[in-house]
Amino acid sequence: MNDAIKVGSLTKYYGRPEAGVLAVDHINFQVQEGEVFGFLGPNGAGKTTTQRMLTTLLEPTEGRITIHGHDLAHDAYPVKRQMGLVPEESNVYTELTAWDNLMFTAKLYRVGRAERAARARELLEAFGLWEKRDVKAENFSKGMRRRLSIAMAIIHKPALLFLDEPTPGLDAQSARAIRDLIRQLNDEGTTIFLTTHQIEEANQLCDRVAIIDHGQIAAIDTPEHLKQAFRRVQSVEVALEPDGQAHGQALGSLPGATTAVKMGDKWRLYTKDPSVLLPQVMDYANSSELRVVSLSTLGPSLEDVFLEITGQQVGTVRHEAQESKPRRRGMKSGMGGGR
Amino acid sequence: MKDGWLQRLRDEVTQAWTVTAKDMKVYYLKPGMIMFGFLMPFFMFFSFSVRRGMAADQGVARLLALTVFFTAAAAGPFIIPLERRLGTYDRLLAAPMSLLTLLLSKTAVGAFFAIGTSAFALIVGVVAFGVSVAQPWLLAVAVLLAAFSFSALGVIFGSIPTRNPGSVQMPSTLLRWGLLFISGVFIGLNEMAPAARAVAYLSPLTYAQDLMNHAVLGAGLLNPWLDMAVLLLSGVLFLVPSVLMHRRSRRLGY
Repeated sequence: MNDAIKVGSLTKYYGRPEAGVLAVDHINFQVQEGEVFGFLGPNGAGKTTTQRMLTTLLEPTEGRITIHGHDLAHDAYPVKRQMGLVPEESNVYTELTAWDNLMFTAKLYRVGRAERAARARELLEAFGLWEKRDVKAENFSKGMRRRLSIAMAIIHKPALLFLDEPTPGLDAQSARAIRDLIRQLNDEGTTIFLTTHQIEEANQLCDRVAIIDHGQIAAIDTPEHLKQAFRRVQSVEVALEPDGQAHGQALGSLPGATTAVKMGDKWRLYTKDPSVLLPQVMDYANSSELRVVSLSTLGPSLEDVFLEITGQQVGTVRHEAQESKPRRRGMKSGMGGGR
Repeated sequence: MKDGWLQRLRDEVTQAWTVTAKDMKVYYLKPGMIMFGFLMPFFMFFSFSVRRGMAADQGVARLLALTVFFTAAAAGPFIIPLERRLGTYDRLLAAPMSLLTLLLSKTAVGAFFAIGTSAFALIVGVVAFGVSVAQPWLLAVAVLLAAFSFSALGVIFGSIPTRNPGSVQMPSTLLRWGLLFISGVFIGLNEMAPAARAVAYLSPLTYAQDLMNHAVLGAGLLNPWLDMAVLLLSGVLFLVPSVLMHRRSRRLGY
């Protein structure tokens, strides 16, 4: 397979290199044609900066970007013709109707007269907007604007589609429709570069993911390989009755547990070895006269991997059994890392 | 190779018109455009010109210069920062067209607005005050060249790396007012002191007013060919800082 995107030593300083803010720090990666490539990272990690450099909107300080064999610094025109961009904010023209928005974009990308009407109709029907084609976008809901924004980005059938946070803020139905659409586009041969902090979305959609943190690529591989590389981030999930915050300290201190995190009515105990921890949990329940409602062991999720790499915490109560874990920088998983 | 080059040129022209037509549809009726582009020159004309015993044809020549100047230069500082703020400018920057094509399309938006507004002013002059135009073709060329030059001037301000239209409107309005008072619009070039006249020659509005005088009144102070050359050249030169500022914006991330 050929590379759709090849990035070498890509760097971005905002301001002068000696005094500015380093947003992206000499990153390297490749995206193959036909791939759904997830670009994950916490807020401020450099995701959007990288994507803006890849889409010609931002000039790199250093490094080289090649898209479909064209050097972006010197030969951007053919790249722009076969590229679609869906930014984080749905940048539709609210004063124009859905139809006019699509016609404008189609003309901008030089889609032929007959083809653009047919294509606009096809997309509006596929996105459930055909009935609203003559309604100005200012009257659209957030989900409708998002769908229209994506339709505008693909009206010229781009070979490479950049999506920046496509689903946050949408209702479950709209988010699912957009994920289905991404799969469909990919099935039809479009390479997808998906920037997101929705870990589960990346897990469901992406062939490979790169995790960027503090401007550096911390890991890059398939979701399953990343999970395999983080087998040490296994967990035991237990629901106890009666439940209470008081269990946290005790559970987190059990031999074999590294962390106890409250997740709804359950506790998730992170461990390197569930077989050591399981009997400890049962002993704790018995000695405290608690009923074990459910008990299961879990492998690492992509979110666990992400949090492990970026050193972040889940947004719930966490009881540390150890000193905070050291941050991993520049780590790449065993298989395909750094590709 | 030649076909490829010609096709690219055709594409760029079509894309420029596509952006211009979209902007005309989206922005011409926005309050900011109506206020700063349409109403402002008329307010200024009536503020500074009534009760001065001016002949009607002189008044129309002055109103035309004022209208083209203010209206054409209003579009760039209003539209570009607004589009940056809404994120729609990224759509244009990422599209397969050159930066020059984009800037020319934005220049055309202001120029067409100015041409339309000045046509309205001319019709009012002709119908209400019975003014006759000495050289109609020269007037058409004058309006066209002045609209291009002043719209390109406005695009410079629109190119300032910011997403806030307000922070662009202020310096743009200041410059326009400054130019207005040094350019022989309210005080004729022949009435100016030599030093003031030397300053007036630095402003393209001076040449626009002189060309309007040639076209409407049949007489001006300077050679009309010089007026035309200066307006054309200034329009082209005004595009240079816009290109440079857009490159700077691309480095800064606006």
